[in-house]
Amino acid sequence: MMNKKKRLLLLNGSPRKAKTSYVFARTMKELAEKKGHKAEIIHIIEYFDEEKHFEALKQVILPQDILGLVTPLYVDTLPYPVIWFLERIACDLTGELKGKEFFAVAQCGFPDTDLLHPLLESCGYFAKALEMKWLGGLGYGGGALIDGTPLEKLGRKGKKITSAFAFALDDIVEGKSISPRVQDQLTVKIPKILYRALAAFLNYRKKREAYSHGVSVADLTRKTYLENKV
Amino acid sequence: MSLVILDAFGEENLIEKALENLLQKTGKEFFYFKLKNMKILACRSCGACEIKSPGKCVFHDDMPEIMRAIAPGSLILMLTPVRFGGYSSQLKKVLDKLMILVLPLYTVKDGHLLHSPRYGKKSLLVIGLTGQNLPGEEENFRLLAARNALNMQFTHKTLLFTSADPMEKIEREIDKALCEVKP
Repeated sequence: MMNKKKRLLLLNGSPRKAKTSYVFARTMKELAEKKGHKAEIIHIIEYFDEEKHFEALKQVILPQDILGLVTPLYVDTLPYPVIWFLERIACDLTGELKGKEFFAVAQCGFPDTDLLHPLLESCGYFAKALEMKWLGGLGYGGGALIDGTPLEKLGRKGKKITSAFAFALDDIVEGKSISPRVQDQLTVKIPKILYRALAAFLNYRKKREAYSHGVSVADLTRKTYLENKV
Repeated sequence: MSLVILDAFGEENLIEKALENLLQKTGKEFFYFKLKNMKILACRSCGACEIKSPGKCVFHDDMPEIMRAIAPGSLILMLTPVRFGGYSSQLKKVLDKLMILVLPLYTVKDGHLLHSPRYGKKSLLVIGLTGQNLPGEEENFRLLAARNALNMQFTHKTLLFTSADPMEKIEREIDKALCEVKP
């Protein structure tokens, strides 16, 4: 039986348009297109910055079958521009998205994907509030290390993420909840016992970066707002 | 104890009124920021506040005013409507820029990889106003507040009210929380 070809809109939630969230969205778009579906990406920040008119968004969203938010984690949940965008949609498109499908992919710098739980739950509540079908969320820990590098250039790690997205899309285009095995595949398992070594490595890297900008450790730890004339 | 209030409500409500009454009665010292009236630019995750300009955003907005109050203070009180089981965009515009309260260096505490506080330990009191929320949203809101506190290594408390709660109850619970939450 031929599956119905779907229209998929990927919403890039990162203020940095070409970084890891975009890399993930681009990969999902390519995978969807390979399966014969139509997919496009929009950048939420362009609507937030009024480079694009929010009023015109309705024409972009309404023909879609599936909406997918791909976003970084900012301070434990969605970035401010993304919450602004979801609030605007909830306000301006009430009732008009009913029956469409919604999913989310979130990524954070820390290895622990549990940190993405409140963000992904919020996406679910957004979908339910607008009477969309919530297909579930996926979390990736360690997004900062990818730092916008295309997945095809990341070797085994890139292949693993791409394969997980392909499995997720199989469920998504059929209107099914994303299988838990996809999250298992995406999760980078770093034993907590290695966190101290990881912290030491990250601190070494950060200090080296600081030195290269002529910034000392004392400068890095300045209590800027307790100093005069700030 | 100096208190910094970040008020993300758009319109007047019982929580603001109860807090105002309470602060008048107790004579507590506080700084009050009505966020909808403040120009806070969105965090672009440019990383400049980590290295090039340690602890300070390079974009010019009203954040320094808030930071000058928070840095020496001991308690941050955040007021927000509950949106999709989390914070409203008005609160999040400030919160995204409060990562300058921590250092760009990492530490491990109780099995969590965290940033160390830049200005020492503080407390966080998060107060949410629920409306037509779905089951589970309140729980997610509490989890989010707990994660923020963990992230910044602050102690915290979360309170949730509905617009049907009586003023006396709101006042009493906020008073109790202000006494209980300590850095």
